[in-house]
Amino acid sequence: MSLAAEEGGATEAADRAYLAQVMAEIDAEVARKRASGDLPARLERELDELFLEHSPLSGRGGGLGESLRMVDAAAFIDPVVPIGSNKSGGALVKKGLRTLNLWYIGYVTHQVSQFAAAVSRSLHLLDDRVGELGRQLDAQQVAPSSVVEAAWAVGPDAWWVDGAVRALAAARGRVLHAASGDGWLVRRLIAAGVDAYGVDPRPGPVDRGELDGTDLREEGAIEHLRAVEPAALAGVVLSGVVDPMTHGERDQLLGVLCDRLAPDATLVVHSLSLAGWASAEAPPEADLASGRPLRPGTWVHLLGSLGFEASVTEGPSGADYLVTAVLRGAPPNR
Amino acid sequence: MSPAPDAAGDGPPPARAVHQFVPALIARDATGSHTLLLRQALREAGWRSEIFAEATHDELLAETVPVEEYPARAAPGDVLVYQFSTSSAVAEFLAGRPEPLVLDYHNVTHPELYGDWDPASAARSAAALDQLALLAPKAALGLADSAFNEADLVAAGCRRTAVVPVLVDLDRLAAPPDPRVAARLRAGKAAGGADWLFVGRLVPSKAQHDLVKAVWAYRRCYDPAARLHLVGPTPSRRYLASLRGFVADLGLSEAVRITGEVSDAALAAYYAAADAYVSLSVHEGFGVPLLEAMRSSVPVVALSAGAVEGTLGGAGLLLGRAEPALVAAAVHRAVCDPALRARLVAAGHAQVARHTLAGSARLAVEAVATVAGPPPGVAAQPQAAVR
Repeated sequence: MSLAAEEGGATEAADRAYLAQVMAEIDAEVARKRASGDLPARLERELDELFLEHSPLSGRGGGLGESLRMVDAAAFIDPVVPIGSNKSGGALVKKGLRTLNLWYIGYVTHQVSQFAAAVSRSLHLLDDRVGELGRQLDAQQVAPSSVVEAAWAVGPDAWWVDGAVRALAAARGRVLHAASGDGWLVRRLIAAGVDAYGVDPRPGPVDRGELDGTDLREEGAIEHLRAVEPAALAGVVLSGVVDPMTHGERDQLLGVLCDRLAPDATLVVHSLSLAGWASAEAPPEADLASGRPLRPGTWVHLLGSLGFEASVTEGPSGADYLVTAVLRGAPPNR
Repeated sequence: MSPAPDAAGDGPPPARAVHQFVPALIARDATGSHTLLLRQALREAGWRSEIFAEATHDELLAETVPVEEYPARAAPGDVLVYQFSTSSAVAEFLAGRPEPLVLDYHNVTHPELYGDWDPASAARSAAALDQLALLAPKAALGLADSAFNEADLVAAGCRRTAVVPVLVDLDRLAAPPDPRVAARLRAGKAAGGADWLFVGRLVPSKAQHDLVKAVWAYRRCYDPAARLHLVGPTPSRRYLASLRGFVADLGLSEAVRITGEVSDAALAAYYAAADAYVSLSVHEGFGVPLLEAMRSSVPVVALSAGAVEGTLGGAGLLLGRAEPALVAAAVHRAVCDPALRARLVAAGHAQVARHTLAGSARLAVEAVATVAGPPPGVAAQPQAAVR
């Protein structure tokens, strides 16, 4: 290698190292901005969602009304083509061609426009019918379950937390906590050497928890699990999530959970007992929820049918309990 | 490097004509400009060369011959070059021709990138990929703008390929900037704030919506007066309407300017005023505006996608993700760190120097000569790196 080539190679290597250093500093700056609250990850997600609302025909935004407006706008086929031209005399030539062809093109486009108008009219009728059905369903709608937590049953000092951390301490892979609140259990798990993160549909606690860089996401448990790769999780903790669920929601959650847990993964469920749910200390959301907690034995039965080995620990006051389950082999639906 | 079958001593006589075919010759378009510049290079090399087009922009009517006239003009030994970037009846026409074919491939935006935005364009892209699979095995040579595009050609069954950068006359930006555009940009700058620039078609795959998110984050964190200029044609009305609505919802109607297609003089004014060129495009077969930005001494921040890394050649900040916070921080650094800015600009000039029009034209002629034989009157030509 010549001296010039060697010098060129050294310069390139130095440039690459310099740019790598700059990019590392930029990454650190981004982490600082997010941690300081200047630009929390939640805001970036809101930007994505806002743009999706403008996405036509996506099914995620825009809606049928917007699509119909586009259909209406495109339904008329104009046979009178523009005749502007940059060439001298071009416009005259185009006008002549247009005049010669208009009787033929006009006949065809008239039929196409009639067809498009008929399609558009049918779609408007469908839109009206769907809108009416939607209004009827609204009156019978069951609100999706939210997080229902009793203040005395969650937090770093709750009786079941040590047991949950012990059950997950040996997890080899990511562990999810839902609903994670401000990340109190996620931080505890991380301190125990577990690669943990959390999801919670409530924005307030997530924003507070993100300030120290804890990996928390503003999402519901089912919504998040659907986006996770199969067999990607070594453990899941559910607290405040399952009690208010309807049977259908609980089935959905367990179905997707079985698929996302790796073999030998650990599932920890904290639940209020029926007595705790009915007590005066239970939060008002308990009365408003569509579902109610299961009895401890029902969890053992339910999880056993899905391939788990489950055990139950009752809380000292009888107002809550902890289910610890290990997935043995592939669940029936995998 | 493999020997050119048609240029070997016992092969057919050298071609006298190398003609190009293009679905549509469009003014101020990278493929259109490449086609015109390649014709000039082929003629200067000594071949006869015409451009046969299915459709031609009004401004370029004198430059083309209708495709259907080729059979009457065909001569023994002709070599045909097809400028491939979209689906067209020209592909089927060429598939039935006996002349040796050089496939000059400028990439096809994959159908899934149109998503729900433009089903018609998605269908055209799918048809284009079918036509690529039809022509690639037949081609005597595949030319690609970039290694990224070359991989497509090889995957489609092209047996011999060469990478030849797109021919682009960057000196057209040396013309005086459009005074009215320049004055308007100066007035904006006088009020403070950085000017971000992106040049390209306003389509979902160029991800102008991600640029809007990023400039929103940049204004929030670093520079409340920053502006984003989106320059380029707007073929997707649906995407344009959505982008405008998104910009309005974010309160950025004064900060994000969607210019549409502009003249070279106006483009020069935009490059002259830009503090950073930012690309978050998710699909780039080459990226001519990246070269234009580097030629105009504008630091580049770009998402690493398609051929972007190769075109930049280390002369820009290359991002692995288009997250608004990351893009904003990178642009802030490129705009406000004089040492970084100077290094990026210097590296950009060096990269542009490796993409001269004369150099790229020479490579193109050498590559074509591996199929057509030496140009008339030329004893021997060095061969381009053909795989």
